[in-house]
Amino acid sequence: MRGREGPNGGITRFALLGTIVISCLLISFQRNSELQPSAFEVTAQETVSPLANILAIPLRRFEDFFSGFKDRRQAVEDNKKLREEVSMLRERQARYDNLAFKVARYEAILGVDTETDIPLKKIAARAIGEMDGPFLRSLLLNVGERDGVTMGNPVMSTDGLIGHVINLGPNTARVLRVSDLNSRIAVTSAETGATAILAGDNTDLPKLSFINQRENWGLGDRVFTSGDDGFLPRGLEVGRVVQGKSGGLRVRLSSDSNPVDWVWVSPYKRLADPDQPAIDIEPEAAGLP
Amino acid sequence: MTYLSISSPVKRMRPALIAGLALIIAGAMSISGLNLFNARFGFEFLPLLILVIWPRRANTIVSLSFVWLAGLFTDWATGDITGQWALIFVLVWGFLRPELRSDPFTPVKIIPAWLIACVAAALILSLTGYFIFGIFPDLAPLGRQAIIATLFLPIVLLLRRSIVVRLKDFDDWG
Repeated sequence: MRGREGPNGGITRFALLGTIVISCLLISFQRNSELQPSAFEVTAQETVSPLANILAIPLRRFEDFFSGFKDRRQAVEDNKKLREEVSMLRERQARYDNLAFKVARYEAILGVDTETDIPLKKIAARAIGEMDGPFLRSLLLNVGERDGVTMGNPVMSTDGLIGHVINLGPNTARVLRVSDLNSRIAVTSAETGATAILAGDNTDLPKLSFINQRENWGLGDRVFTSGDDGFLPRGLEVGRVVQGKSGGLRVRLSSDSNPVDWVWVSPYKRLADPDQPAIDIEPEAAGLP
Repeated sequence: MTYLSISSPVKRMRPALIAGLALIIAGAMSISGLNLFNARFGFEFLPLLILVIWPRRANTIVSLSFVWLAGLFTDWATGDITGQWALIFVLVWGFLRPELRSDPFTPVKIIPAWLIACVAAALILSLTGYFIFGIFPDLAPLGRQAIIATLFLPIVLLLRRSIVVRLKDFDDWG
């Protein structure tokens, strides 16, 4: 039941209207503009990280309690599958060793280096916060600048690429997931080497766009980062190609197979912009007046 | 306060401060969630629980300031569109206007208020998201967030009840 409005009802209504208008203005300023992380965001994420760290412990235990039932039920079946996989992988390992030896010899003969540029150093981190909203898919990690993380660093789980760092504080880092609306990464097919851009659209299956050589993309192809964008290193596992509902090609992300808890950040240094040409061309020689 | 035999309830600072702090903590908890049954149940709707049980005797201007600032803090903490949660919090608080209620919500009466708060939040999130990104949202995460927050509703009510019975100024917290 509603009572009589107090003596300061007019001020309340004015203040209410003011906050609504300011909020709407703040929202409208972000339309058609690139979403840039602000200092406020960094401060807020640094502030909430201790609470998120504490909360993560009981929440993960609660999740483990439920997933434990499922795991035990599937243990016998999983064991059988794993045994089959081990025997198959032993054979593949032998073939892989042989191929690696051959490739190393060819490289030595041709004098080329085909090594992937993924750094060997890895920074282990825990995902203390996960936002999976209608327009946002990101993670909050408990590592930051002090641990050696830099902007744009790729973040991986044991299953595959999760995303890259978009916001960095001294002790925390925010990760834009590959499936987020704003995520665009250059990828390649492991089978054919054809390239494309993997564009997130806030669904579980990001789409392949700007496809180069459509005929070279097939369902089930393994997808890796191509490194063409200069932001991510070449060779990070992303997922497998599947058919979208509307007929286009999409990618089932490898990192979506398990809940994200422990991850690692790869301290990859982005490719620097090419320097200005060292030789100054005379305007007359270039045919300019 | 009494003026010509018309009495107006005294607006106190303490309930406003405590409710405000609870709202900020709930906003900070928004970044967490549970992964169950191959789905993510985010805690983004938890602050709405605090708004629904906001004390009637809390100072109005202080309450509104806390509500708006907690909304902005939630936006920054979650990395969402700045102003989105601030707008939702202010509109939900403005719709419920706790200081105008003569009686506290009973557990049954709180259900329609809670449902309205959830629908309003989903609607504003969808509209503001469409305004910025130009696409309609996936409503499934919003539904899961509302479900998990609804499960917390009885716990929050019990928690408030247990705190209130220990305090002397019982009526300030209804």
